[in-house]
Amino acid sequence: MKLIELFLSPIAFSIGFLAPLLAQGMLAMNSELSTPVAYGAGLAISISFGIVAHSRGSWIWVKDHE
Amino acid sequence: MNEAMSPTISPTMSKASVSLDSLTESELDVLERKIAGKYMHMVPWGAVVWGIGNLIAWLALWPLVLMDIIPLWLGFILATLNVALSYLPSHEAQHNIIAGKGQPLRWLNELVGHLSTIPLVLPYRVLRHTHYEHHSHTNDPQLDPDYNIHANSGWHFLRKSIMNRQPESGRSGAYPEALKRTGNEHMMLDAIIYQGVYLVIMFTLAWSGYAIEAALLWWVPKQIATTYIEYYLSWAPHHPGKEQGRYTDTRGFKSRLGNLLSMGMQYHIIHHLYPRIPLSLTPAAYRELKPILQHRECNLGEL
Repeated sequence: MKLIELFLSPIAFSIGFLAPLLAQGMLAMNSELSTPVAYGAGLAISISFGIVAHSRGSWIWVKDHE
Repeated sequence: MNEAMSPTISPTMSKASVSLDSLTESELDVLERKIAGKYMHMVPWGAVVWGIGNLIAWLALWPLVLMDIIPLWLGFILATLNVALSYLPSHEAQHNIIAGKGQPLRWLNELVGHLSTIPLVLPYRVLRHTHYEHHSHTNDPQLDPDYNIHANSGWHFLRKSIMNRQPESGRSGAYPEALKRTGNEHMMLDAIIYQGVYLVIMFTLAWSGYAIEAALLWWVPKQIATTYIEYYLSWAPHHPGKEQGRYTDTRGFKSRLGNLLSMGMQYHIIHHLYPRIPLSLTPAAYRELKPILQHRECNLGEL
């Protein structure tokens, strides 16, 4: 059950999808960027968002009642 | 009831109003149901073709884009249309409009219901049960699972739509709560399986070098389509969402985009009164029932 919760969590989404999306987006816009740098930056940015989403319950910091 | 009453329910409003005034409440009910009955009990083949064809078209976009047969920007536009169009055929099936239990085409009803919402990653059984709750408790703050879509204006709706997409929003918990309340908690397994399979596909594509394609053929279209569907199916027909009751919880409205682009929802009031009328017939049913709805002081806007 814990494993399923983890898989469906914002952290998993940030690592599993947002990180490569950001990396491939950066590589598409700047072909001189090295792949490890793009993926490193993608992971750093997306995990930051994932942690915010996990801890605050909102990807964009602001919550429903605020 | 006097049979001569039926022909007077016609486009001539004043004449109809006079006739309707002379009817008792039960006579009016009979007349209303008689008119509505004319539009029920027919298989909406258009919705069947739409539901299955739309899914096939969306699935076909993947090889077409990944093999560079069509450009990604075109795939994105088409995918957004496909995902936005994927809900309504399932909605017809949820209300057993294609075929009810025990009828020969029941399998087709269930097939369309299950298949058409795959692009939205929404399981049919969850949708059906929560949608029935919406019909039973429309605009009830505690019991309507779609209540948290209500907003003061179109812009407020957009803001709420974004907020509703957040992991711990009230909207995220609305359907699980409705299923739990009605003893259908086990159906959450469908949602977990759907979401799990969706994430496996997205993660696999993304880490295989197709993250942008996955985003523009599925993830972003799903976000846009969800907003569009919620706006026209949930917000606009029930705005301002303060009234409860058969003739007051849903309104008719004139969309700036017309009936087609508002997905036929201008006539959603007919759907709430008679959920077994196919979507394609709600405009005709509305026109014939309009004098009665006006007599009952329904909110019909400028429709």
